[in-house]
Amino acid sequence: MPKQEAVTAFTPADPVLHLLRRATYGPTPEAEAELRKLGAAAWLERQLNPASIDDSACQAVLAKYTLIGKDIAGVRALVKAGSMKSGAWDVMQQLGTAAVARAVWSKRQLFELMADFWSNHLNVTCPSGEVWDSRAQYDTVIRTHALGRFADLLKASMRSPAMLSYLDNRTSTKAKPNENYARELLELHTVGLVYSEADVKDAARLLTGLTVDSATGLYKFDANQHATGAVTILGWRHDNATAGGGEAAALAYADMLAMHPATAERVARKLCVRFVADEAPATLVARLAQVYLDNRTAIVPVLRALFTSPEFAAATGAKVRTPLEDVAATVRVLGIGPSADMESVRGLYHYLYDMGHAPLRWAPPNGYPDVAAAWAAPSGLLIRWNAHLNIAAGWYPKQLARPASMLAYLVPKLPATHGAFVDALATRLVGQPLAPAHSAALLSFLGKSATAPLKATDAAATGRLPHLIALILDSPYHLYR
Amino acid sequence: MDCCISRRGVLTIGAGAALTGLIGEGLSTRLAFAGTPYTGDTLVVLSLRGGFDGLSAIVPIGDADYYRARPAIAVPKASVIAGDGTFGLHPAFAPLQARWAAGTFGAVHAVGQPNPSRSHFEAMEDMERAAAGTSIRTGWLDRMLGVAGASYPMAGVAMGTSAPARLFAGPAPSVSMLTVDGFKLNGEDAKTPMMGTLAKLYDGAPDLLGAPARAVGQSLGTVGALPAYTPGATYPATALGNALKDVARLVKSNVGLMAATVDFGDWDMHEALGAPAKGQRMYDHLTELALALDAFATDLGPAFGRVTLVTLSEFGRRVAENGSRGVDHGSGNAMLLLGGGVRGGKVHGTWPTLAPAALTAGDLTATTDYRTVIGEILQRRCGLGSLADVFPNAAAGTALGVVAAR
Repeated sequence: MPKQEAVTAFTPADPVLHLLRRATYGPTPEAEAELRKLGAAAWLERQLNPASIDDSACQAVLAKYTLIGKDIAGVRALVKAGSMKSGAWDVMQQLGTAAVARAVWSKRQLFELMADFWSNHLNVTCPSGEVWDSRAQYDTVIRTHALGRFADLLKASMRSPAMLSYLDNRTSTKAKPNENYARELLELHTVGLVYSEADVKDAARLLTGLTVDSATGLYKFDANQHATGAVTILGWRHDNATAGGGEAAALAYADMLAMHPATAERVARKLCVRFVADEAPATLVARLAQVYLDNRTAIVPVLRALFTSPEFAAATGAKVRTPLEDVAATVRVLGIGPSADMESVRGLYHYLYDMGHAPLRWAPPNGYPDVAAAWAAPSGLLIRWNAHLNIAAGWYPKQLARPASMLAYLVPKLPATHGAFVDALATRLVGQPLAPAHSAALLSFLGKSATAPLKATDAAATGRLPHLIALILDSPYHLYR
Repeated sequence: MDCCISRRGVLTIGAGAALTGLIGEGLSTRLAFAGTPYTGDTLVVLSLRGGFDGLSAIVPIGDADYYRARPAIAVPKASVIAGDGTFGLHPAFAPLQARWAAGTFGAVHAVGQPNPSRSHFEAMEDMERAAAGTSIRTGWLDRMLGVAGASYPMAGVAMGTSAPARLFAGPAPSVSMLTVDGFKLNGEDAKTPMMGTLAKLYDGAPDLLGAPARAVGQSLGTVGALPAYTPGATYPATALGNALKDVARLVKSNVGLMAATVDFGDWDMHEALGAPAKGQRMYDHLTELALALDAFATDLGPAFGRVTLVTLSEFGRRVAENGSRGVDHGSGNAMLLLGGGVRGGKVHGTWPTLAPAALTAGDLTATTDYRTVIGEILQRRCGLGSLADVFPNAAAGTALGVVAAR
């Protein structure tokens, strides 16, 4: 079978399902009904205006994560009160677990995808020791600007203790500048690999003085550590004449970087890789870069242009689910609801840890990879397959809120034959019946012919149902996004 | 589960986009040796991600410019162990000191890439692809497996990870393994033949998904048949220790392991690299490395004679320290070698000195191409002939004599 045909065959052509697979962490019957009722345009506008979406069910779950909203002073106050040790990872552990809960259960799905996108683009590994008190505040920074202007996000990250600690700018000195943040700000956060070593050196000088107050843990600009003198970076020149003007010069630099055409191209490309295809369509990248510049780095117009583009419409089957998307889609499609039990959500996090994709946890500063080839490996598949069966069967995590009857939830009206049952189950889980050969594989697993009558007491509807669900979720039909 | 990543644990595939589309590439030379049983060493590539500071590890104690460049963080002459008047080992290598004396642990200094980059991600991509200036996008270990005639996934194992290794990217069969004991399929038994059903469900899938699915099917039996393992050494309870223990297990089980990759990150020490003392960042990290390597060598026992482990890192660090008592991205670096066939107990290579005029933009000038070191191992220990398919466009370097011929 030629490859392109195979991909199409594994993915339903329905544009509603395509949009749901890409702009959410996975279809649910409720989300599908809502999209069909509102129409794609209105549904998208609603997602781009997350405050308009009632998310109280997810927020009720998140209320249990009492540490994730703490700013630096709030975290340190806990230490002062004796309820947490200095340097403890409690806040960061909650943030990571809460990220799973948000991906799975928030109704503001596109917002959550974008929060994850920027958390990777401007990665600050969570957990990591040096941001024990500042990582939650950094999460708030990301979420504040996730659908705002990139220039604002970039400048906010530049003045975040978490970023300044993670990339070591906090200890940079005017005599011997530390180049770490200066380099990654160019290479990863903005223009990409178009800079020179001289650019890095000048940028490192310009960024000196942006630091963290060791007494409070808060951001401060320390003019005493700012290296003055003219800088030229990517052809942009700044006199940088006074130490007191150092912060303003750094922010002007960030504004220049955010509006640089190379940054526009990179952000557009990364959004295309995120939502459209591993091989970003060049025409769409160019158009989105222009939308980004025309709107002075505002992200919503870029996303609107992306999701309404013909390139997006034509890209069914061009993405494979990352582990996070796989696990979230699995939980969502099985109707497993918000769970008050934090340990069970942590169980989902542990699967993702084994898959190498625990949210916010990527160690290097470049964020998790976003192309299928970076994830497609034997052990990765095996762990996904095992997780599908464990979740479908309710073996682990045990305390998630499952439908009273998984069978009744997925296939409310039992079909008359095994063949029709396999088709109904697949349609419910992956949006279409499997190809005949693949349906035959499932029937062979059950030891039944397609025409064999189905009773509620048959293995397919009882003891083998988890296996059947898992096998469908294990297959390429579920892995394509 | 949450115990093992400290700071910036692992720097790994950065240029993921560079991987797209290489499946199916380069099948031409693959089957040349198919059917010939592999009799070479297992090559273990230990990637020290983040930019290993070779100047802290293999200390140029005889070079006064080293001490001038690093007033706050140089390793004092009095602290080093082993070595000679020119180089000394960082004291954290104490667990390996006996192997240095025995000649099975050694180093090469001033190693680098032909077109060095100070970008982690570009430098790693270049080093693992090792085919700059060509259209080849596979990893060099994939090409090594191809030339060696690998015909089953367990010939090449990315150990300690569920993700694919860039070094193995390409058409040769290989397998990633988070752990050996964890490599099993839930629900599989005679009444519920999961794998057999999955194989049919992946029929018609593009190789991107079909190849790893097939590799699972081809490896489950081999792994499942392994007896329970009691290692012959005590490994540190770290991700590195666990991964090396699993590599040793596969070597000793004779499953036909030709090459293995293991990652050990967190070397990006821009800040607080520290004095050579317990509790300091470089000291503690090197100690973890040395303890794990020593346990690996001990555990292998007689099989140590058919294993060669080599370390790689995307770049070395700047010679001069920064204001954070750390070092920024640099160029020339040290490689470490461990194995029964290693000619260790010395530092191989040509020392260019750290005199200001000898530096390249402030960095240690590389005098040995890392491919020369690997190439010698591939030919003398792994039984490869021509390296043209593994390292296309590499100038034929003069072998340094880092390993003995088998």
